[in-house]
Amino acid sequence: MNEQRKDILDMLAEGKITPDEAEQLIATLERDQTPVAASSGVRPKAKAKYLRLEVDIIENGEPGRVNARVPLQLLRAGVRLAALVPPQALARANAELDRSGFPFDLTQLKPEQLEDLVEQLGEVTLEVDHPEAKVRVFCE
Amino acid sequence: MMPQLLTVRVKRPEGRTIRIWVPVLPVVLAGSPFLILAALGAVVACRMYRIGVMQAFGTGWRLFCALPGTRFDVQEGRTAVLVSIR
Repeated sequence: MNEQRKDILDMLAEGKITPDEAEQLIATLERDQTPVAASSGVRPKAKAKYLRLEVDIIENGEPGRVNARVPLQLLRAGVRLAALVPPQALARANAELDRSGFPFDLTQLKPEQLEDLVEQLGEVTLEVDHPEAKVRVFCE
Repeated sequence: MMPQLLTVRVKRPEGRTIRIWVPVLPVVLAGSPFLILAALGAVVACRMYRIGVMQAFGTGWRLFCALPGTRFDVQEGRTAVLVSIR
């Protein structure tokens, strides 16, 4: 509790101000403090624009490296392709998935859900460490 | 915004580097007769599979416009390939 708020509560306890006045004062105090808190607090994280993939690998004693950068905008546009898949193709894919032991209904997958998934990718960081390979997937 | 420049860089094991810059707009303009044929083929395919033609073209255009910023850099030993779209 900060000092000013404590003073207001003390004044209320001593009967110097009414509960309504105390409420008004606290509201004013909060209004004044909000911009300060917003400016002094941690700045919101910038929105991720790219999905990055970094792979470092040693194969046959030779080092290899893959460094890929894909705009998230491209993924967002890509998921819209899902809406273009003909229903017959989805039905056939569902049947194949079912036969392979994955009873997954692709017709229930909506582009909006996929877009939400892409939105959340900004928070994802995936790191795989192996003696011969290092994989890192993240957004920037 | 549509892509403007495609850069391909290939580094050979002997140390030679080949760089190719492809300006997208002039290439698209030069290949426009083929693009029109491809678009007609796409319209027929959309009709066959009962897909909205405008929806399909809209999605294709959006994909094309989202390409700038894409970059693939692959190195293996002394060989390296870089593909970058700006």
